[in-house]
This record gives sequence, structure tokens and C-alpha cells, in this order.
Amino acid sequence: MPSAAALKVLIVDDQNSVRQMTRISLEEIGVRHIHEAENGNTAMDTATLQPLDLIISDFNMPEMDGLGLLRAVRGHPTARRVPFILVTGRGDRELVVKAAQAGANNYVVKPFTADILRQKIEQVIGKLS
Amino acid sequence: MASLDQLKQTFFEECSEALQQLESGLTEIREGGGSDDTINAVFRSVHSVKGGAGIFGFEDLVGFAHVFETVLDAMRSGKMAASHDTVDLLLSANDVLTDLIAMSRAGEPIPADHGAECRAGLERLLGPDGGDADGGEPAPADFEGLDFVPVRVDAGADDTTPRVYQIVFRPKPDMLKNGNEPLPILRELRKLGELALAADTCALPPLGELEPGRAYLGWTGELTTTATRTQVEEVFAFAANDCDLEMAQMSGPEQALPVLAPALDAEAQAAPSVVASPSIVPPEPEPKPKPSNAEPAAPRAAPPLKAAATTMRVEVEKIDRVVNLVGELVIAQAMLGQVVHGLPEETSGRLAQVIDEVSHHTRELKDSVMSMRAQPIGAVFQRMPRLVRELAAKTGKKVRLEMHGENTEVDRSIIERLGDPLTHIIRNSIDHGIETPQARLAAGKNEEGTVRLSADHRGGRIVVEVVDDGAGIDSERVLKKARERGLTSPDKVLNEDEINNLIFAPGFSTAETISDISGRGVGMDVVRRNIQDVGGRITLKSERGRGMTLQLALPLTLAVMDGMVIKVRNETYVLPMSVIVECLRPSGADIKNLMGSSGVLQLRGTLVPLVHLCELLDVGRVAATEERVVIIADAGDGSLFGVIVDELCGHQQVVVKSMEESYGAVAGVAGATILGNGRVALILDVEKLSELAVSSVGTRLDKLDAVPVN
Repeated sequence: MPSAAALKVLIVDDQNSVRQMTRISLEEIGVRHIHEAENGNTAMDTATLQPLDLIISDFNMPEMDGLGLLRAVRGHPTARRVPFILVTGRGDRELVVKAAQAGANNYVVKPFTADILRQKIEQVIGKLS
Repeated sequence: MASLDQLKQTFFEECSEALQQLESGLTEIREGGGSDDTINAVFRSVHSVKGGAGIFGFEDLVGFAHVFETVLDAMRSGKMAASHDTVDLLLSANDVLTDLIAMSRAGEPIPADHGAECRAGLERLLGPDGGDADGGEPAPADFEGLDFVPVRVDAGADDTTPRVYQIVFRPKPDMLKNGNEPLPILRELRKLGELALAADTCALPPLGELEPGRAYLGWTGELTTTATRTQVEEVFAFAANDCDLEMAQMSGPEQALPVLAPALDAEAQAAPSVVASPSIVPPEPEPKPKPSNAEPAAPRAAPPLKAAATTMRVEVEKIDRVVNLVGELVIAQAMLGQVVHGLPEETSGRLAQVIDEVSHHTRELKDSVMSMRAQPIGAVFQRMPRLVRELAAKTGKKVRLEMHGENTEVDRSIIERLGDPLTHIIRNSIDHGIETPQARLAAGKNEEGTVRLSADHRGGRIVVEVVDDGAGIDSERVLKKARERGLTSPDKVLNEDEINNLIFAPGFSTAETISDISGRGVGMDVVRRNIQDVGGRITLKSERGRGMTLQLALPLTLAVMDGMVIKVRNETYVLPMSVIVECLRPSGADIKNLMGSSGVLQLRGTLVPLVHLCELLDVGRVAATEERVVIIADAGDGSLFGVIVDELCGHQQVVVKSMEESYGAVAGVAGATILGNGRVALILDVEKLSELAVSSVGTRLDKLDAVPVN
């Protein structure tokens, strides 16, 4: 059983307020090592330099959107295995299908509670201790 | 960690930026410009507002934003055309969104029908089947009916079954030099389970040939662990470049890789269209063609108003404090210069050089600090489009607002004071200047009137202009009104310019059209006073039937200025360099004396009226036969006059300190400063002086046709 406290998670979102709220939810779940990035490029820097257990990325970002980031991660030789959860808005049904095709492990609809987030994470890496 | 309230504040600040993007993007689209990127950026802005609003619980905001966003989505996917009417509706939607955000921010209850009309309009655009109606419901945790199966990593593996891996770990010789070490890695490995390792010493040289910085050892062994292969590999992640690693699973459940559509796998391997990682990537064992740095859809970024990623929020008080300190530094350094000036040659030589350098750096420091306080004037301009739209709608006139020079940087202190005067001037233009569409057509003009707002750096000042192509000032009506209000005597003859300037007189107001638009009693005199209070100037030009131009000239900053230090009798004063045109020491022959005035100066064919500063400031009597220095200054309306002083002491940067709080406003005095010698010098307001000169010397001066020297 993976321990929440040992997880290294990267949050990607161009809105600082949303990043912080997601951080709060993660901390509620017990995650301690949280990286943040505000666009796809800095996210890729982190993903290729840091060992990560999970990437949680918003879709709606300028320059490189969440799908673009997902594809970049999946195409990268060392980062490609990192589990990826895409954050979508209410109306983004078709997006979820595309995300699945691009290799996303899961999706979560914004706004989400810490419980929902935990559920989504456990669906990917197993029950958290 | 930030509190919820702080995060909400952050969200509202993000909303402000989003609204700005919306306004400029929609306006661009309306004007016929705007690329795919523009509509995408506009969509994203609303989407961001909606997302954040959902997270922070502003449901009313979410509902409206959702409809707004759906229309924009239809537009960006080509399902809906960007007609003028549609974009106008979107602009109104932006206004409603602005209001909703403001109310949410202030914690005010939102009236149920606020923006209802606009919302209905948007919903009509979407039609009966377009767009989803789920805007008002809470977000589903999952989309209904979607066949999405979350992809487990380590799918199928029972976490508690031990596996055995055989590991061969061979650090490369340079590993230590690259900052990696085998021992911590082995310790980490041991944490994962049972480790049985044997060291491989075959590469170890005799002691005499041993280089301490090189790695010679390797290890082989077995690790029994419940960890997955990924987790074991991760232990070696940082040293991936510096070692050879072989890992084979000997027993236990296999780990499945995340399921990828086979097409994607092939695509990821070969396609150069995937964004490549930066060069830190360790080389692949089988070198695949390295994807080039081409990005799939190279962003043709529409230039934003200001680059968002490279700015930082700093509290205003912090910057003001720095500005103050730099001001003190400038003063102290001037004093230092004075002291050095008084030293004997041998010491002062080298010292003077150093002082020179210091003053150069101080000047640059001052410039940098002042530029920190500078903001693009667009911050004030951005309120105007909405104002114009609302006024045009209220008055039934068609008006177009053109803005130029939004990026012109202006000191923060001035930006704050500019909003109200500008608002009032534009209100005036639309209310009184621009005619109704019918009247305009009848006059042979375009049905739509234009108000052009521009800002520019000119001659050491910021010049803001409001130009309209309306009817101009009705000078007969103005004169009549002014006479009625006793602002000018009935038999005084005034030329057209003078009549037009009467609208600045206190007590003047265009009575018959006081509507709630133009405001109650806020006349142009208040506007002018506001501008003058910041050391600026306002001038007006009107052409009957063609339109009106109002020009505001403002100093670049209130804090530091270039000044000319002068002496009159025993008193030292400072004149702003920006008003000085020329300094001369004229011969007696050039000065003509006229009865009842201080004389005039013959300057290259024109006559410039003179004023004795000592007389004006009451610091001494005029001595008739002495040689004087004359400073030719701009009186503010383009005409020149000459100021007679005793001595020119030099040109320097002065830190402007306001005296108003302690002493109130004194006509002719713009502030004070501390000179290098530690003494206080008053900074004179030249424009005011010229007015005082005229009034003290009598009307003779205005009979002299002083023509500006161009």
C-alpha cells in the first residue's frame, strides 16, 4: 500500500488560487511532497528532473494545455511512466475521451473535494495508507 | 499556508486580469481583428473564472459564466459566427460578469435578476438544443455514461507478494565527480527489502595507482521486496547517467505498464511532432531519432497587454519607501558634492572623480526606482470603453472610442489622479460634444462619432489627449452664460480662445443639460484644478462644427525633477527645467522699457514681456542699471515670458517635497527641496508666476503681441 506521505505529486494549473486549493486537498489526504507548476513548460522541467509519483494537471491553460502536457509526458523517455490525472471542467466530456486516448490514467471534474480527489488517486495507484 | 480568505483574494485578482483580457479580446474581435488565439484566450478567461468560482463556492457566478462560456465555445469551434450583434451581446455579458465578480468580492447578495436579460440573450443564441443546461447544478463527480476506466499502475499486482530482482549495479568511473555516490543508493535499496549484495572488485587498481575521485567498485546481488520494479528503479533515478544498471525480475508477480493505445505507443517513439524535453535527458540506450524542438501547434501568441509570467506583486508601501530613500540619497549625494567642491585641489581631484561615479549610479538608481512605480496608462484607460458604451446607449448616440498609447508608462501617483478628470472629460464629449446620429448626418458627418483617447511622452511630459469630432464649443452660448454668471464683464472683448477657456472658470456649468450623466456640479474648473494639483496643465482647442481637443500635459513624476537653481538677491529658488526655453544675458540695448511694465526683451524679432522675480516674490527692489540674467520660460499656453534673476547657479536633479500639508497651497510655489548645501529652496510654479506677473503689472502686458519663438 503506497503511503500518502511518501508520494511526490506535481500540480499544474495557471491559476494560483486553484493550485493552492488543490494543494490543500492533497495535504488533507496526507500528501507531503507537492510540486507546483503554472504552465506546461515548467511542468515538463519538473517532470523530467524530479522523481514523481503523480501529475495532476488542469486542462485549460495557455500555450500548452493539459492534453499537450500529457502527450509531452507520455512521449518523454524517463517521465513517460508517471501517472497522470487530468482536471476537467463540467462541460468537458469529449475531452475525457481524448485524454484516455492520450494515456491519462484518470480524470477529475472541477470543483472537487478532497474525498473525490483521494478516490481518483486511489483508482490509479491503489489504496493509500 | 494561505488562508481561504487570502486565496479568495488571489482568485479575485486573477479575475481582474481575466476581465481585462476579455475586454481587449472582445473589442479586437468586434473591430474585425482577432485570430483564433484571441477567441481561445477569451474562452479560457471565462473558463478560468468559472472554474475558480466553482471552487470557492460562488454559484451565481458559475451559472452565468457557464452560459457565457458555452456561447464562446460555440464561437471558437466555428459553430457560431462572430457577428457585430453577437459580439456586442458578449461585451454586455462581460459587463454583467464584471458586476457579478465585484458583488461576489464585496460579499454582497446578488439580485436574482441581475444580468437576466443578457443571459436570456445568450441562451437564445444557443438555441433549444445547443449548450448544456447543467450550469446550475453541482458538478458531477463523474460524467454519466462515459466508458472511462481508470488506468491502474501496477495493475494486477498484489502489493504484498514479494518479488526477487537480480541487480547488477556498476557505477561509471566519473560518478563521484558528478556528485553521485553509491553508498546512499545502496542504503535506499536496502530499505526496500532484503538485500544480498556482493561487491565486484575486479576493476580496483593497486593502491599506488588509486585515484580517490574515481569509482572502481560494482555490486551484484538480489533484492527481495514487495516494491514494484518502478519503485526499485527509482532508487537509481538520479544516478541514471552515471552507472550501468541491470535488473531482472526472478520471481513474483509482474508489473504491467500503464495501458496505452498501441497507436499512441508507436507515435510516441517515432513522431517528431511531440514536444521534446530539454537537453537534460540522458541518452537512450538505443538512440531513437531525437524529436526536434518543433511544437505541434506553435502558439501564434497575440501580444498580451503586459507579459504575465515575468511580473511580481509588490506592496505599494514598499515601493514608496524605496522611492523616498532614493530621494534622500539624491539629496545626500548632492551635499557630498558640495563639500568636495570646497576642498583643496589635491584632495578634491580624485574625490571628485569618485563623486561623479556615485552620482551617475544614483541617477540610474533613481531612474530604475521611478520606473518601478510607473504603470501603463492603460490601467486608467481600460475603464473608458465601458463608460463610452453606457453613455452612448443612454444618450442614444453612436460613439466609437479609439485608444492609443495604452502602454505609455506613467507614475503611479499620477495615474490615481487621472481617472476622475478623464472620466468627466469623456462624459462631456459624449454628452455635449458628439451630436445625435440624425444631427450628424444632417451636418454631412459620419453617423458614428469618434472619441480618440491617446497618451504619449512629449518633451519631458506625459501628454494625454481627448479628441472628439463633435460639434465643438458653442462660443456664443458660453459667452452668454459666462456674462449671466458674472464671470466676465459684459463689455469685455474676448477672442474665441478666451471664450472657450471660460468653461474652466469656477461656477460655470452647462445648466440646461445637467443630467445624471454629467453629474451635479462637477465643472471643468474642478477638472482643471485636479490636473494642476499634480503639476499638470490642461488646454482646450475647439472648432465649431468640427470638434474639440482637450490636452492634458502632466509631469513624468511627482517625486524628482530636473531643476535650474537660481538666485535672486539672497534667496535661492528652483525653476523646473521643463518650462525653461532659454537663458540669456542680454545687453541693455535689447531691453526696451515701457511705461508701467518691467520692460520687454527683443528676442530675434519678437518681443517677450519681462518680469523681475525679485519684485514678484517681494525680496528686493529692482536696480535699474545692473546686468541681469533672463530666463525665457513657457507660460503654459505656448506664449513666452522672461524672468529676470540675479544668478544662475546650475542645473541639478531635485527631490520635490510637498509643502501643502504643512503650509497649504501657495500660489506660485510648487514645492520645496533641500539643496546640496543643506538649505531649503522653494520650487517655483512658473505658469502661476506668469499669471501673477500679468495681474501685478497690469493690462499693459497683454497689449504686447508676444509671439512665441518657434
